[in-house]
Amino acid sequence: MGNRRGFMPGCSLPSYSPKNVELTVQYLKKHYPELSGIQKCCGKPTKALGQVELFEERFGSLVQDIKDCEIDEMIVACQSCMNTLRESKEFKTTSLWELLPQIGLPQELIGKAKDSDVVFSVHDSCSIRDLNGIHEGIRWILKELGYKVAEPEHTKDKTRCCGFGGMIVPVNPDVAKKVMDRRVKDFPTENIVVYCAACRQSMILGGGQAWHILDLIWGDVVYKNSKPPEDVLSNPVKAWINRFKSKGAIKRAIKK
Amino acid sequence: MKFNEKVLKAATEIAEGCQGHESAYCSSECPMHTDVIGYVDLIKEGKVSEALLKIREKLFLPGTLGRICAHPCEKVCRRNTEYGQPISIAALKRYAADKADKEEFWDISKDPATGKKVAVIGAGPAGAQAALDLAKKGHEITIFEKLEVVGGMMRVGIPEYRLPRTLIDFEYSYLNKLGVVFKLGVEIGKDIQFDDLIKQYDAIIVAHGAHKGSIPSVKGKETEGVTNAVDFLKEVSLTKKSHLAGKKVVVIGGGDVAMDCARSSFRVGVQDVHLVSLENQAELPASIHEQKCALEEGVVFNCGWGTEEILSKEGRVSGIRIKECLSVFDAEGRFSPTFGNEEIVIPCDTVIFATGQIVEDITAGSVEQTRGGRYVVDKDTLATKAPNVFVAGDAVGGTIVVEAMALGRKASISVDRYLKGMDLIQDRDLIEEYSFKTELNLPLPEGVIDIKRYHTRMLPANERKTSFAECDLGFDDSIALEESSRCLKCECKGCMKECIMLNDFTHYPGELFNKFLKDGNMEPLIAYSCNMCNQCTIVCPEEYKLAEVFGGIRKDLVKANNGKSPLKGHGAIDIHQLLGFSKLFTVKQKGGKK
Repeated sequence: MGNRRGFMPGCSLPSYSPKNVELTVQYLKKHYPELSGIQKCCGKPTKALGQVELFEERFGSLVQDIKDCEIDEMIVACQSCMNTLRESKEFKTTSLWELLPQIGLPQELIGKAKDSDVVFSVHDSCSIRDLNGIHEGIRWILKELGYKVAEPEHTKDKTRCCGFGGMIVPVNPDVAKKVMDRRVKDFPTENIVVYCAACRQSMILGGGQAWHILDLIWGDVVYKNSKPPEDVLSNPVKAWINRFKSKGAIKRAIKK
Repeated sequence: MKFNEKVLKAATEIAEGCQGHESAYCSSECPMHTDVIGYVDLIKEGKVSEALLKIREKLFLPGTLGRICAHPCEKVCRRNTEYGQPISIAALKRYAADKADKEEFWDISKDPATGKKVAVIGAGPAGAQAALDLAKKGHEITIFEKLEVVGGMMRVGIPEYRLPRTLIDFEYSYLNKLGVVFKLGVEIGKDIQFDDLIKQYDAIIVAHGAHKGSIPSVKGKETEGVTNAVDFLKEVSLTKKSHLAGKKVVVIGGGDVAMDCARSSFRVGVQDVHLVSLENQAELPASIHEQKCALEEGVVFNCGWGTEEILSKEGRVSGIRIKECLSVFDAEGRFSPTFGNEEIVIPCDTVIFATGQIVEDITAGSVEQTRGGRYVVDKDTLATKAPNVFVAGDAVGGTIVVEAMALGRKASISVDRYLKGMDLIQDRDLIEEYSFKTELNLPLPEGVIDIKRYHTRMLPANERKTSFAECDLGFDDSIALEESSRCLKCECKGCMKECIMLNDFTHYPGELFNKFLKDGNMEPLIAYSCNMCNQCTIVCPEEYKLAEVFGGIRKDLVKANNGKSPLKGHGAIDIHQLLGFSKLFTVKQKGGKK
């Protein structure tokens, strides 16, 4: 097996922040000069609805993209992509959050938040409750940046859903909202860090203050009184514009 | 609708194996099935009035039972079977009753009048329970009671220092509010003949208890100064005196009644009280609490001795000769005491036998009796050979108050069916009508540790032993809170506590999937409300994968709907997915050399 790597940010992240996507691709490319970039859905929503054949068709198109780019190992920033790809067993798949501890953070970012007064509660994605490497990777990143961390009662393999799972939002928004509200109440601190942009949206809808881990890596140092980035995903127009921008960002960064 | 085999298999497994319907150890053991977890949890949350209402759903005597229930629930409490430190369930019940019970909480609603008349003989717990249940069903109820007071053995057996009489009257006033008529001081068989009663009423419930003390055939038992527990306790209860007791009493027996006699003796002026039991101390049938109280008050225990002879001097008891008891039961567990040779004499002037009580016949032979005078009944319905005569309580075999109540309720169900011309047994859940063993099989919740049981405060022994004032002072707020917090809530509802959406559709997964299998269908919104987070699976002792089953059902629903979700709301996802795969928003950029 070769060692050509590809990166895919998934759906919610590029809709949330083209900047985070671009800086991540740029950084990965420094380590893997042959890095390819793919922006496409893995088909998880189709699969979750139970549309078996349609999912196979859609996922098949992603597999074809990966093959076209001659990628041996996929690096993913989305936990649903992680599951869809690892369940298919087509490619070696590595989560970005497990990879970063291996390759390290940019030297200049290490300890950047050591003077911050904020304490972050970590919200783990429930879809990868069995992947402890990701949980630990996130905590490693936070520690490396210099942030202090608090754990809720339901954390890591016992984490709770953010409310977004299972495609319930459009059909049972009341339950989804209750799940969101409950999750936000779980945390011992005001400030929450997530590693899924959809989880971040849920936290905000549930009344919480949440940052994506990439906001902390690539963005300004966060303090206790800092305000989190706006909830772009609740604005479909802005979200799709971002998704479009992310596509361009990937192209640019890979071509460079 | 047709569902795939995998889904049906998994659903069947859950439908059959889910323990969600199994009740907790405490409430299944309670013959009245009081919702112990429910009220203990409400106390923990400081919602004492709600806790009281929860108790009152099943028990009209919360304050009484909170004091004197033999609480079989505590024996099976997980904190007892694991650590020997059961939750003080009875004391918490008393706490709720003392703090919150008010007449305005009492449910006095009744079904429309049926015009049927029922006579209940005996105003003890069995008769009262039967009367109130039947009154609520719209029947007209009259209770005939030989004594001038209500409560039966709770009134004339259980001593006042354990159960204040004003409380009995207060709690019984609920029956008055329901329109139950009391005829006190009326003895069936003497003032009114049983056969006449049968003619005057549509149905009869015989619940007059076992009020005749039995004394074994011991030499000297006819001597002046010898009595039985029933007569002694009745006199003490009604007069706070004993015409018979002298200065030195020996009580024969090892149960709670013996403890009542021993402790009551001090309160009517006796100076020395000895207890003689066949059983050794570790095997005494009396509750540990009663034993402890008796010992603190100065009762001298002589355990492991049998009564050989009652000695007399000048026509009055002068002592009792007792013989070493080697064993009480034979290999088959039958009562068959064996004795050694050692003998001692305890000088005394009074002997009280607390060795059982029997049922007197008030029916003039109309209803057949068996051992101990207990009436012969169909044990499932408590019906006798006479079609309109039923028996409840101690008269048929319930030996503790809450059992008597359950039998009262059982008899009332039968009578109601009888009066409505229904079959006595058809479609009847007999298991629910008495104690049963739950099938619950749960691991101890994670992180549970042994926390000691809180005991109620007691008046000091020297202060209480000569007084009829209540000696148990109960819990104060802070202790009630601590004690209720120890409850492990032994029920398999982990998933229901964790999952929000399941609660909108079912009481537990077993029920949901039973319905699914029975209906051959599921409301799409149920399957599509699962977050697929697997939180239910990680708290399930069987690790049932509900998300997978809902996922499987979704697939079949889509299949049956031309490849689309049956729910309109999912149209948004269809569009989202179309865009997510469209050229406009996707890119594949191959890296490396061009």
